[in-house]
Amino acid sequence: MDFRAGDSWGIFAFLCAALWNLPAVPALNNTDEAGAGQSIQKTYDLTRYLEHQLRTLAGTYLNYLGPPFNEPDFNPPRMTRAEMVPSATVDFELWRSLNDNARLAANYRAYTHLLCYLRGMDGQVAKADLRKSLGHFCSSLQGLVVSIAGVMSSLGYPLPGSLGSTDPAWAHGPGPISPHNDFLKKMDDFWLLKELQTWLWRSAKDFNRLKKKVPPAAVTLRLEAQGF
Amino acid sequence: MANPVPSACCVVLAAVVVVYAQRHSQQDTRVQYERIGADVTMKCGAMDWDAAVTWTVNGSDIDESHLNGSYLVLRNVHLGHSGQYSCYEGSSWHLKYQTSLKVGTPPKEPVLMCRSNNYPKRFYCSWHLPSPTYIPNTFNISVIHGTREMVCEKEAVPKNRCHIRYLQLFSTVKYKVTLTVTNALGRNSTTITFDEFAIVKPDPPENVVAKPVPYSPRRLEVRWNNPSSWPDPESFPLKFFLRYRPLILDQWQHVELSDGTSHTITDAYAGKEYIIQVAAKDNDIGTWSDWSVAVHATPWTEEPKYLTTEAQAPETTTSSTSSFVPPPTTKICDQEKVVGSGAVAVSWAAGLVLAAAGVLFI
Repeated sequence: MDFRAGDSWGIFAFLCAALWNLPAVPALNNTDEAGAGQSIQKTYDLTRYLEHQLRTLAGTYLNYLGPPFNEPDFNPPRMTRAEMVPSATVDFELWRSLNDNARLAANYRAYTHLLCYLRGMDGQVAKADLRKSLGHFCSSLQGLVVSIAGVMSSLGYPLPGSLGSTDPAWAHGPGPISPHNDFLKKMDDFWLLKELQTWLWRSAKDFNRLKKKVPPAAVTLRLEAQGF
Repeated sequence: MANPVPSACCVVLAAVVVVYAQRHSQQDTRVQYERIGADVTMKCGAMDWDAAVTWTVNGSDIDESHLNGSYLVLRNVHLGHSGQYSCYEGSSWHLKYQTSLKVGTPPKEPVLMCRSNNYPKRFYCSWHLPSPTYIPNTFNISVIHGTREMVCEKEAVPKNRCHIRYLQLFSTVKYKVTLTVTNALGRNSTTITFDEFAIVKPDPPENVVAKPVPYSPRRLEVRWNNPSSWPDPESFPLKFFLRYRPLILDQWQHVELSDGTSHTITDAYAGKEYIIQVAAKDNDIGTWSDWSVAVHATPWTEEPKYLTTEAQAPETTTSSTSSFVPPPTTKICDQEKVVGSGAVAVSWAAGLVLAAAGVLFI
C-alpha cells in the first residue's frame, strides 16, 4: 500500500468517525425536521379519528353498562379509585408553558396507561360485537402511541421510562379489581371513557401547538438531548 | 347660666322633629306588592272600621263603592291599579296612611345560557325572564364545578350577564350553573349542566371583504380576520365556513376551510352580484359562530361600468372580445388551457428543432 501522506488517511479516518456518529446526533439534517412536521400532522389526524371512533364506542358501551351511566346528565363526583386513570385536566398557565418534550411525554404516558386499562376492560365484556369494537379501538389507540413515540424520537426526545418510581400511583397498572362491587367497576369504566375522550380533545390542542412550533423546513440541532 | 336651657330645648325639639319625620317617611316609603288578579284590602292605618275616611290614588279621590267601611277593597287587581294610595281622615283631612301599590307577578322560570367566545380564557352566562314581572327582581347565580364553587363576576353592561375564568382546561367534570330569580311575590330557578367544550362558540369573523379579481370574470377574492375576541388563534386555531350565492338565486354554495383567512371563489357567474358570508369555529370543539355581516361583490367584467342591482343585461357580452363567452358551467380555466396549449405547442416545436440540430451535429 502506497501511503501518499499520513494526513490524508487521518482526515479520512476522522470523516468516517464523524459519519458513523452522525445518526447519534438526531434532527441534524433537513428531512428529519420535515419528517417530524409530517408526523405531528399525522398524529393530530389520528387523534381526530380516534375521537370520532370513541364517540360511537362510548355510546354503545355506556348502553351496555345500563342506567344511570347512559343518561346524558349523569355527572357523578369523582372517587379516589377513579383517580388512578391519568387526567388530562391541567392548570391553564401550566399547560401553556409546557415545553415540547414535556407536552409529548404527557401524551405518551397518558395513552400508554389508558391503553393498558382499556385492554383490561376488553377482557371482561360479555358481548362479542362490543368486544370486537373495543379490540379495534385498542389497535387504533396503539397506533397513536406509536405515532407519538415516532414524533418524540424524530425530535430527539427520549421516550418516558415506562414504570419509574417517580410516576404516580396509576403508573403501576390497574389496581386490584374488586369482584364484589359491580357498580364501582362500572363507575371506573365510565370515568375511563370520559378521561379518554378528554385526552383526545386535549391532544388535538397539544398537537396544534406542536405543529406551529416545529416548522417543517427548519434545521435545528438538538444537542441538549444528547447531553453535550 | 341661661344657655343650657335653650340648648336643651333645641335638642328636645330636634328629637321630636326626627321622630316625626321618621314616622312620616316610613309612611311615604311603604311599598306593597300584590299579584295580578288578587283581591287587595287596605286598612287606613289604625283607624276603626267605621271611621269616616277618604281614599285617594295618585291624588284622585276613590269612589265610595270601593270602600268597605274604612277599608279600601280592590278586586282582581291589574297593572292599572299600581299607584300611590293615601287615606285621609274624613273631616280633618289628616293623612293617616299611605302606601305605594305595585301589581306584578311572581317570576316564571328564567332562561339561562352559557357560552365561551374567548376560549380558553373565560366563559359567560346570561339570562332573562321569559315574561316581565313588572316589579323589581333580584338574580342570584351559582356555578359549581365538581366540588368547587366558582365566582361568577357580574358585568355592569349588560346587567344580566356574568363571567367566569377557566382555571383548569380539559376538565372531565361538568359545570353546573343555577340561576335563582326572586321578587316580593315568589321565586323561581333553573339549572343547566355542560361540559367545558360544549359551550365554545366564537364570535363571527370580522372585516370580511370581497373583491373582484382583475381580468378574471368568474373569480371573487374573499378575505377576513379572526374575531378579535378570540384570544389565542395560534394554539386554538379556527376553521371557517364560507357561503355565497348570487343575489338572484336562493341556493347557497358552501366551502369549508381548515386554515387561512382568505379564499378565492372560482365559479362565480360572470357579471352577477354576489352575497358572501363567513362563519368560524374552533378547529376541534364547540359550535359554529353566527354568520358574519354579509358583503356584496361582483366579479370583474370587461367594461369598467359598475353593475348595480338593476335588471341584469343578457348573459352574452356585446363587446368585441365575445369570441370567448363561457357558459355558466365551464370554468375560467378553459380559456387558460387554450392559451396554455398554444404555449405548449410552441415549446414542443422548439424542442424538435433543437433535437434536429443536435442530430445534425452528431
